[in-house]
Amino acid sequence: MHQFLKHFFLPHHSNNHRAKALHIDSLLCYVLLFAIFNLGIRIVHREFPNVLGYATDIRVDALLASTNAERASNGLSALKLNGALSQAAAAKAQDMFANDYWAHNSPQGKTPWSFIVGSGYKYTIAGENLAKNFSTSGGVVSAWMASPTHRENIVKPGYQDVGFAVVNGTLNGEETTLVVQMFGAGGAPIAEVPPVKTVIPESAASSEKPIVAEVPQLGEQTAEEIVPVAKSVDVVASPVAPISSVLSNAFSAVTKTPMFNIPTVTRDIAFMFIGLIIGVLIIDGLVVSRKKIVRVAGHNMAHILFFVAFFIALTMVRRGVLL
Amino acid sequence: MKLKYVNFIVLGIILASGIFTFSGAQNDRTIQLFVGIATSIAYVLWGMIYHALEGDLHLKVVIEYSLVGAIAIILLLTILWT
Repeated sequence: MHQFLKHFFLPHHSNNHRAKALHIDSLLCYVLLFAIFNLGIRIVHREFPNVLGYATDIRVDALLASTNAERASNGLSALKLNGALSQAAAAKAQDMFANDYWAHNSPQGKTPWSFIVGSGYKYTIAGENLAKNFSTSGGVVSAWMASPTHRENIVKPGYQDVGFAVVNGTLNGEETTLVVQMFGAGGAPIAEVPPVKTVIPESAASSEKPIVAEVPQLGEQTAEEIVPVAKSVDVVASPVAPISSVLSNAFSAVTKTPMFNIPTVTRDIAFMFIGLIIGVLIIDGLVVSRKKIVRVAGHNMAHILFFVAFFIALTMVRRGVLL
Repeated sequence: MKLKYVNFIVLGIILASGIFTFSGAQNDRTIQLFVGIATSIAYVLWGMIYHALEGDLHLKVVIEYSLVGAIAIILLLTILWT
């Protein structure tokens, strides 16, 4: 074992004075192993999503609370959760999954405003924030606040109402958790809002164990059912109970707790590997330099700088994306 | 020796540019992947030029730099697309 470790990690006559871990055949093995690893993760995730999946906990109540907390910190009034805007957000999310697009306007030219109008909400001003693939509600709102254009929506004084939809499905062939946030002001009384017929995307409906509440779907709700609750929502004082009453089960939360979280697993393994390679390169370089060994090989310091640069870049990768 | 420093300054610029561009494309993973691939290719080219100037450019060295670049790309793919 000792000999093997020495052979693998230290420059030695047995490995032609270059740590075996840095030999060309070893480097090729790493490439192949990571390719297999990638493939394996996809297969295991597809077959056993509860074992290897994407941990997600995004809830409308938390999104609303975070949004209003940001507004409060800017001296603005709290937004009221509006059933019509939530229906518009849900319809938008469904349209995105159905037509497989990630944009404010659909490929057919439908704008966010058409969904708002379709829900019966009469607005004087309106706005839309989109997010996908975040793992927590706080992460979504923090990312929106870090983006000037999204922040502008959240802290716009003119808005009075907000609606949310959180939906899991497949977008562009990738498992995606969409968050749609729609803002508005000047909406008509919710009692006038007609019910919107909506269909849950098959992929969303069949997601692992994502969906929380037990309320009827949006398409089954009537305007009258929505009215009193929406009117009475005090989002700051008690956001949870009223919200679950206003929103459809299918669009109010996506929660998944797989045994192993894919982003965590892949990052841990990738970072450990880079750390190991950098360590071997440093030791190899030091030994060769001290023993003044001449050999034909790449420059260790260059490799180290390259891997450090990639390490830094990889730490910047965020799974969540805004639009 | 002076040439060596210049070469490493060039490498530093390549890598710093890569990181800077990568961080600027936070909302677009496809661009991030392309930046990663471009940086890796630039690194392989840098390695070939560096060793050519040092007078020890061999096929083995070219393969080594190419595989190091390939490892970086596969790691990036692992993080970006899983």
